[in-house]
Amino acid sequence: MSVALAEQAVAALNRLGLDYSFVLAADERASFLHGMLVTIELSVVTAFFSLVAGVLLAAMLSSPRAALARPARVFVEITRNTPTLVQLFCAFLVLNMLLSQALRELGGNPLTPFIWSVIVIALHKGAFHAEALRAGIEAVPRATLEAAQSLGYSRRQRLWNVQLPLALRFALPALVNNMVDLVKMTTIASAIAVGDVTYASIMIWTQRDNVLELMILILLFFGALTFLVNRAGRWLETRLRMPGYGH
Amino acid sequence: MSNRPTRSAPPPSTHRPWFSALTRRALGRTALVLAAALGANAAHADSTLDRIHERHKLVVGVILSGPPFGSLDPATQKPVGFNVDLAENLAKQLGVDIEMIPVQPSNRVQFLQQGKVDALIANMEVTQERAQILSYPPTPFEEIGGALITRKDSGIKSWSDLRGKAVCVSQGSNYAKPLAEQYGAQVKAFRGQPESLLALRGNNCVAAVHVAPTLRLLVARNPDWKDYTIPVSNDLIPSPSVIWVRKGETDTQNAFEKVVEDWHRSGWLIDTEHRNGMQPSQAVLDLHAKFKAQPA
Repeated sequence: MSVALAEQAVAALNRLGLDYSFVLAADERASFLHGMLVTIELSVVTAFFSLVAGVLLAAMLSSPRAALARPARVFVEITRNTPTLVQLFCAFLVLNMLLSQALRELGGNPLTPFIWSVIVIALHKGAFHAEALRAGIEAVPRATLEAAQSLGYSRRQRLWNVQLPLALRFALPALVNNMVDLVKMTTIASAIAVGDVTYASIMIWTQRDNVLELMILILLFFGALTFLVNRAGRWLETRLRMPGYGH
Repeated sequence: MSNRPTRSAPPPSTHRPWFSALTRRALGRTALVLAAALGANAAHADSTLDRIHERHKLVVGVILSGPPFGSLDPATQKPVGFNVDLAENLAKQLGVDIEMIPVQPSNRVQFLQQGKVDALIANMEVTQERAQILSYPPTPFEEIGGALITRKDSGIKSWSDLRGKAVCVSQGSNYAKPLAEQYGAQVKAFRGQPESLLALRGNNCVAAVHVAPTLRLLVARNPDWKDYTIPVSNDLIPSPSVIWVRKGETDTQNAFEKVVEDWHRSGWLIDTEHRNGMQPSQAVLDLHAKFKAQPA
């Protein structure tokens, strides 16, 4: 039933000059669906670690101690100002090769292309999150901080319980913006043979030369993903809204 | 104010026939234009060859993925290599100038289909799927297959030793399918050949598979690759390399076919391969003998 339906759909699209016949080949369909799953996995895992990196970097950046703030500033500037693809190639083809050589006797290198992609994209986007959060941290009124200080809050407690919760609300639109960009950025993982949806498509159009058809599918898929991220961001914004603060 | 709409609107009964007559005339004119366009199309089924001579220039898409096929000369920044020599000579034989446009495996078919190039000399072997959407002069200019490069101590001695092992290829390579389906290898496709070879050096795969002439040249001439070897002498899916043109452009196809046959007959092709550090395949030697025996 569903096979007949798929065949009809493929035939109808074929009349429009679009060749979607790969959908009818079980192995190619499976690899495309698996690619979509890998893209979602990569996005979720990377988004989580980018937030961890962002919070850590923001805390370091806004620290009064130069020993913490300086290295964080240097890291943020270098990461923000170089192309992600170059960073990925540097990490995977250079660092990974050196690591493999060093670990050759110890049973090999445990880092896969997937893990390298997570590390590079999470750190890259973490730097952007850090700057967004820093803007939020600096927007917390001095009086609020002094009030917290007079109540006996330590610096860490002030950061965690006062500054970051308020900073998050300020930075949320910028963070959602970064997240949308992060989802799209996962496509660069295909360059180092991570089997995401872009990679699966390349492998299919290599055989069939149906680049346009797959590009349309990739666009629709990422459109849907980023739409979801956007909705989640909006939901969080209304959910976290504090009357009289920032709105 | 309130009676303005009724006053300005013409009575519908007189309006409609006039309107439909106009539409009919417009439709008829469109059909005429369309028919004329189609007729012109049929009369000049192949305008490409005319256009090449009209603008006195042949536009060829070439792949510059590395020697011996094509690369940029570091000194002059001009493209050099086997593909480039073929494209230049093709234009010379047709008596026109050459313009070369670098293409990638992922965009070459679009470049040809959208008319950005007149022909492709782009490491693109004949496959059933490609023959359905494009045309080519039937005589190939080479027969090219894949070779396997691996560390000397990897223990790989034949194609079947690759079962279950990670093998690097470049994205767009037609070796991915036979490696996975016939030999059960775990194929990892990188953005291009340089990335795939770097990944091999980084131990991300046991072997890399690319076009044989490129790898032979690498192992023979490059000291960086002295720990690596090509342990298998038979090539993977040796397939005819041809010049690709748009589907059904028979005039262009026939003109190119004459040139290719001439390349074989005169021995120019064999010389060009030697000049680029390539070893002509048995297929090319056979074609040379065949065309030499039957003069044009």
